[in-house]
Amino acid sequence: MTVPARAERSLGLLPATARVVAERPADERALVLAAQRGEREAFSELVRTHERRAYAVARAIVVNHEDAEDAVQEAFLHAYRALHRFLPDQAFGAWLHRIVANAALDITRRRKVRDADELPESVASPFRDPAEASELRRRLQEALDTLPARQRAVIVLHDVEGFKHSEIGVTLGIPEGTARSDLHYARSHLREVLGSVRSEL
Amino acid sequence: MTTEYRGPELVRDDDLTRELRSIYAAPSDASWWAGLEQRINARLDAADEWWTVPERWLRVGLVAAGFAVIVAGALIMRAQTQVTRMAYETVVDPATIDILEVAERGKLTEQQATLRVLTGR
Repeated sequence: MTVPARAERSLGLLPATARVVAERPADERALVLAAQRGEREAFSELVRTHERRAYAVARAIVVNHEDAEDAVQEAFLHAYRALHRFLPDQAFGAWLHRIVANAALDITRRRKVRDADELPESVASPFRDPAEASELRRRLQEALDTLPARQRAVIVLHDVEGFKHSEIGVTLGIPEGTARSDLHYARSHLREVLGSVRSEL
Repeated sequence: MTTEYRGPELVRDDDLTRELRSIYAAPSDASWWAGLEQRINARLDAADEWWTVPERWLRVGLVAAGFAVIVAGALIMRAQTQVTRMAYETVVDPATIDILEVAERGKLTEQQATLRVLTGR
């Protein structure tokens, strides 16, 4: 099923974060080279350019806004330290997203261990205005939390952020086919939840 | 590892997509993003400081290591000289060699006994 771009826009279905960094800006290579020479302002510019997309990648993997912010900070710090290993002819965004995904997965793993120790009574809530939270959204959030982390990341990256399957594969380090099947299973599961909630309400 | 998906057609559910986008909406407040940049930059500053401190210590460490190598070298040379001198003295010091006893024990002349002691045979 394909939806024309204009229709998508009117339905509010275009990716949540504009794909401003999808195409590498012409001067990005220069920024990377300057940052590799130790120019901090150049790296700060890379942070400004990529932070929204980095947040989106992290948010797709972790369970709440705070963890996503932590993952973004960790990832930029790691990228800063590992910058000398980055080849400037590659796409900086793809390299950074991989680092963000790893940082987010690390946080998810640590949270799992911590949560297993603490046995929390409630599931962490995402970043949103509490007044907006509806029963449907609450149930959907619960269903998202029960999804395997990878499936959740795939559906959010694809449906919310507009990543292509190949980009998801690179970011999460999985084959493109796996990204497709994860998307299928995640959608089926969530659609089921959505359907049952709707029939109850 | 296969990269070809052979499952059912991937059909997007617009309602689901809309709900997901409202749940996963990134903060829209510009000040939050400015704050995030500041927090990231603060961590980068801290990382820079962390790297410069060892750099300073590295210089001190290199000087100390160089000094230690010189001292160790001098000590080794001194010890070797001492060992050589002791070995030499052991051979030539008359007090430590009882030529007469060797001669008597081996029924040798004094000359033969001296030669035996010096050659160690």
